[in-house]
Amino acid sequence: MNSNSFSPARIWTLAAATVTQLVRMKIMAFLIVFCIIVVAAGFAFPVMNPEQQLKLLKDVSFGALQIFSVVIAIVSTALLLPRDLEDRTLYTILSKPVPRYEYLLGKLMGVLLLIGAGLILMDIAFSGVLWLRQSLVLAQSVTALKQEGVATPEAIAQLNEFVGKQGLTWNIHLGVLAIFLKASVIAALSLMISCFASSTLFTVVISLLVTIIGHGQGLIREYFFTAGMNQIMKKMGSAMLAILTPDLGIFDVLDNVINGEIVSAFSAGVMIGTAAIYVTGYVLVSHLLFVEKEL
Amino acid sequence: MKRQIQALAVILVLGAGKLPVEEVATRYLREARLLTKPISISLRESLGQASFAASLGGLRSLVASITYLRAYREWENINWAKVDSLFQITTRLQPTYFNYWDEASWHLAFNAASSYLYNQEINPMLRGKLYEEHVQRGIDILKEGLLFLPDEPRLWNSLAEIYERRVHDPKKAAECYLEVFRISHNDRYSRFAGYQLAQASDRESWVQGYQLLKTAYDKKQRPPSVIDQLKNLEERLNIPPMQRIPEARPQLEIQHDQVGPTR
Repeated sequence: MNSNSFSPARIWTLAAATVTQLVRMKIMAFLIVFCIIVVAAGFAFPVMNPEQQLKLLKDVSFGALQIFSVVIAIVSTALLLPRDLEDRTLYTILSKPVPRYEYLLGKLMGVLLLIGAGLILMDIAFSGVLWLRQSLVLAQSVTALKQEGVATPEAIAQLNEFVGKQGLTWNIHLGVLAIFLKASVIAALSLMISCFASSTLFTVVISLLVTIIGHGQGLIREYFFTAGMNQIMKKMGSAMLAILTPDLGIFDVLDNVINGEIVSAFSAGVMIGTAAIYVTGYVLVSHLLFVEKEL
Repeated sequence: MKRQIQALAVILVLGAGKLPVEEVATRYLREARLLTKPISISLRESLGQASFAASLGGLRSLVASITYLRAYREWENINWAKVDSLFQITTRLQPTYFNYWDEASWHLAFNAASSYLYNQEINPMLRGKLYEEHVQRGIDILKEGLLFLPDEPRLWNSLAEIYERRVHDPKKAAECYLEVFRISHNDRYSRFAGYQLAQASDRESWVQGYQLLKTAYDKKQRPPSVIDQLKNLEERLNIPPMQRIPEARPQLEIQHDQVGPTR
């Protein structure tokens, strides 16, 4: 096989090796913590109204999913290159006919596979608890209505509608997709930073900073487009920040998904397309920085 | 060096090129009600740095739930000022979740208002003033919520209940019930509007109330309350005997225990 030709098989091998490497770092221990959080949130605060109980369960679970994905995206990506250098695995790989861009793609794909698999497992656990909680809440509410003697078909249908809106729907999984897309962008960004960073700590800190700024990028961009011309310095500063950071707020559809808003196929497409632009751009820059880097 | 300059060029070109894409994507997702406007910088002081950063970092719904729980605790401690301020933060964080607006107004217009009204330790003059202020606060909260959710029937219904049971303004209550009817097409709310208009003090309202209740009657919705109010209105409006409903006036039980909305 010509070493310069693009080989998905080589990338897959590198990705699988990366997943194994990260699993050995016991990164997935977070899954156990997540399950405890979800079960605790699922059965806490029984005095609140049914809708609010389910909303709280979703808030806590989605919050944990987001934290998991962002932390794994930053930390695991930041660790990969220095760890391969330290173990000298990088030299072994690159001494073989493996182009550097394939190495980068394999590493990124490994991280994304790990985050994706983690999110799927957590989504399954979360969906199970949500479904269980939803059934319990509904049964309790119907019993309460019967005891009060107001369990009319109309009242029960209304209750079903309220609880159903806050309960388990396919839409919830599209919320998880949004989390994955955000994590993909952050992982690609961290990979780019790690290609010129001097240490793992530098990569983690800068990636975290860009992630935080990226969430407020909407505000920065709004300022850039609306600030008066007399504030040239501020406007230039906001322009630079808007150019250098991704708008991670685009993937924050969770708040409204939790409220029952429907994610259409086109909306999902908009998010996937935006994430693809960022990931492609960051991988391209990573390649340019890494291709001639002295190792 | 050449590659690094190329990398910088790609970052700058991609960065500048992505701005309009981000703007369009954000606008589309906002129109699809999937994204809410960024939170105001002025919320930073109320929330604290950590919560503000968390809400900015995609955990807005979670932070709203936490402030809601804090408000719930303050309600248990009967600290109404704190309940109000925490619900203000909660509703600012998630203005499209109707329940927060609804619950905030219920706490202030019903719980806080009654708590002040029956507090023997407060001067009677002040009690009445505090009662009215808190009822008005409940109304203001719902009106603000309706700016974000103009077609949310439950907010209109809560506003109607406040006008009906706390302000005793049947005309405004009827307007709100009619809004619920317009949105939900549930005939029950048209009847509620009719009951309210029947209690107003002007002839014009009685005519409108009579029309609403007569429509309900003609649709075979004939609970004793409809018959009773129609009988009242027939007398007040001097409806000719031939056009009056044939039923006799029913004996209604007055439920004295109904002093607030059922939850």
